[in-house]
Amino acid sequence: MESTAMFEAVNLTKQYEDGVLALDAVSFSVKPGEIFAILGANGAGKTTTINIFLNFIEPTSGEARIGGVVTHKDPLLAKQKVAYVSENVMLYPNFTALQNLDYFARLGGRNSYSTEDYRNVLRRVGLEDGAHHKRLKGFSKGMRQKSGIAIAILKDAPAILLDEPTSGLDPQAAYEFQRLLESLRNEGKAILMSTHDIFRAKEVANTIGIMNKGKLVMQRTAKELAGENLEQVYMKYMAGHVN
Amino acid sequence: MLKLIIEKELREIIGSTRFAITFGACSVLLLLSFYVGARNFQISMEQYEASKREDLRKLEGVTDWNMVRDLRIFLPPQPMTSLVMGVSNDIGRTVEIRGSGELNGIESRYGDDPIYAVFRFLDLDFIFQIILSLFAILFAYDAVNGEKERGTLRLTLANAVPRSSYILGKMAGSFLALAVPLLIPMLLGILILVVMQIPMKGDDWIRLGLVVLAGYFYFTVFLSLGLLVSSRTEKSSTSFLYLLVFWILSVMIVPRTAVLLAGRAIDVPSVDQLASEKSRFSASLWQEQRKKMSEFRAPENTPPPKMMEEFQKFMSSLGEEREKKMSEFSERLNEKRLNKQREQEELAFSLARISPSAVFSLVSTTVAGTGIHLKDLYKAEAERYQESYAEFIRGKTGQNPSGGMVFRFSTGDEEKKEPINPHEIPVFNFEKEPLSASFGSISVDFGILILCSLLFFAGAFRSFLHYDAR
Repeated sequence: MESTAMFEAVNLTKQYEDGVLALDAVSFSVKPGEIFAILGANGAGKTTTINIFLNFIEPTSGEARIGGVVTHKDPLLAKQKVAYVSENVMLYPNFTALQNLDYFARLGGRNSYSTEDYRNVLRRVGLEDGAHHKRLKGFSKGMRQKSGIAIAILKDAPAILLDEPTSGLDPQAAYEFQRLLESLRNEGKAILMSTHDIFRAKEVANTIGIMNKGKLVMQRTAKELAGENLEQVYMKYMAGHVN
Repeated sequence: MLKLIIEKELREIIGSTRFAITFGACSVLLLLSFYVGARNFQISMEQYEASKREDLRKLEGVTDWNMVRDLRIFLPPQPMTSLVMGVSNDIGRTVEIRGSGELNGIESRYGDDPIYAVFRFLDLDFIFQIILSLFAILFAYDAVNGEKERGTLRLTLANAVPRSSYILGKMAGSFLALAVPLLIPMLLGILILVVMQIPMKGDDWIRLGLVVLAGYFYFTVFLSLGLLVSSRTEKSSTSFLYLLVFWILSVMIVPRTAVLLAGRAIDVPSVDQLASEKSRFSASLWQEQRKKMSEFRAPENTPPPKMMEEFQKFMSSLGEEREKKMSEFSERLNEKRLNKQREQEELAFSLARISPSAVFSLVSTTVAGTGIHLKDLYKAEAERYQESYAEFIRGKTGQNPSGGMVFRFSTGDEEKKEPINPHEIPVFNFEKEPLSASFGSISVDFGILILCSLLFFAGAFRSFLHYDAR
C-alpha cells in the first residue's frame, strides 16, 4: 500500500561511533496539511532526527522517508521534496535579502521567480520593503528567520522541516510565525518542527511528540491533549515518570 | 547547478571587503612591479650604453693594436630580466677580456648597490610567490568550514545539491573570482611596458605569458590546497593555521633547507680553494720559466732591434706555453668544480621541488632567462667572444693578446701612425638561452604545479563527499 505520509520515521535508530544511542527506534509520520511538533530537552534526539531526514547523517537502522523516498538511499530526490529552516538562519551576509532569496530559490530548483515574487514572499513573512535591498549582515535574528522562512516558502516543497524556528524570536515575531505556519498547513504542507516552545507547539501543532534520551516517549494529537496542561505532561515525561 | 554555485562564489567573493582590500593591494603591487621593472630596464640600458661608449672612448687616439688592453664586455639588460630578476642582480655584469685566460664577472648590481640586496626588488616572482599565494590562502582557508560555521553549508546541502557540483563550483568560482580580476592589473602592467617603450620582442611576450601562466598554476595550487584543508578541518581558524604553516614551509623553509642539505651532501671546492691551487701552480710555472728566461742568450753581434725581436718571440713563446699549461690546469679544476656544482644544484633543486614555491621560482626564472644558468651562459658567451677577440688581435698584431709584457724598441724616426679604429673590434652579443633549450625543465615544473593542483583538488573533492555538514 502506498504511503500518504509526507514525513515518515520507521524504527529510526542512530548509534554513534562512540556508542551513544541518539535515536532508539523512533517512528512517526506527518501527513500533508499537518504540523508535527517534537518537544524535548537538549540531546533528546530532535536534531538527530532532522539530520537524518536531511541526510546529513545516516541511520544505523530504520528509515526516514520524505514523500515516500528513503532519505539515505536517494537523498537528492528526497531533498527536492523538503524545505528547511534552521534554528539560527544564516544566509550570505554580503548578499541582500533579495539576492539570498534568488540564490536559494534557484538552488531549490525554482528558476522562474521574478523580483516581485521575491518581494511578495518577503512581505508575506513580514519583512518590510525597506529591508529587501539591504545586506543580510545588518539583519537582526528575527529578520534572518523571516528570510529563511521566505526561502522555504519559495521552494514550494510539500514538506517543511523546522529546527527550533522560534528560538530567540520576540513574542510578536513568534506569533506572526505561528500564523504563517498555519497558513502553510492550510496550503497542504506537511510540517515537522522541533521546538522547546511548549506553548507555541500546543497552539499550532496537530500532533505533539516528546522525545527523551533518543526515544519518542509520547505522541498525541492536539485534540487528545486539549484538556491537559502540556507543560506538566512534558515535565512528567522528561522526568521519566511515564513510560 | 554548477553554474549557479560558480555565480554565487563570484558574487560573494567580489562583493566582500576582504576582496576589495587584497585585490587593491595586489593590483598596486603588480603595477608597481611592472613600473619598477620597466624603469630599472631603462636605467640599466643607459648604464650599459654609457659603459660601452666609455670603453670605446678609452681607445681613442691609440695607434697600436698592441696597446689595446683590458677590453670590457657587459651583460646587456633584457626586458624580462627586469620583470623576473632571478640571479641577474647577483652575477657580475662586466667581464674584462684579455684575449686569453680565465674570465670573471665583476660589478654585480647588488655588489654595486648593496642596499637592494637587503630586501631585494619587487618583481613578478616575488609577487606571485609571496603575495598571490597568501591571497589564495586568504580566500580558500574557510571555503568549506567557513560556510559550515556561518550555517550556509547546512542550508545549501538541505537542497538537492550534489556535493560534487558544490565543491567543483567552489573551486571554479574561487578561481575565476580571484584570477580573472588579477588580469586587469596584469594588462595594465603590459600597457606600462608599451608606454615606457620597453623593447619587448615576440619571444619576450611569450616568456612573460609563460611566467603569468606558471603564476596562475601556482596560485591554483594554494587555492586547491586551501579547499582541501578547509574540507578536512572543523574550524576555519585551524585551517588558516595549517595553511600558514604550509606556506611558511613552502616559501621559506623547504627551499633553504634543500640548498643546505645539498651543500652538506655534496662538497663543492670553494672558489678560494681553487684560486689557491691555481696560484700555487702559477708560481711553480713562473719558477720554471724564470730559469728559462735567465738562460736566454741572443746570438752574438745581433743588432739591438733584432735582439729585441728575438727576445719578444722568446717571451711570447714562454707566455704561450705558460698560458696553455695554466689554462689546462684551470680548466681541469674548473670542470671538476662545475661538475660538483651541477650535482649539488641538481640535488638541491630536486629536494626543493617538494615546495610549490620553489617550483614556481625555478620555472619563472628559467622562463625569464634569469635562472641559475645565466652566469654560466654569460661566461660561456664571454669565452667565445674572447676567442674571437684574440683572433682579431692576432690578425692585427701577429701576436697573441696574452696580457704579458710587450717590448718596443723605438729609434725615434718611425712614421707617425694613424689611430686605430676601435669600431673594428668585434661586438659582443649576448643571446639568452632559447626557451626550447630549457623545455624539459619547464615542462617538469609546469607538470609538478598542475599535478599538485589536481592532487589537492582530488583530496578536497573526496573529503567533501564525506564532509560532516551538520
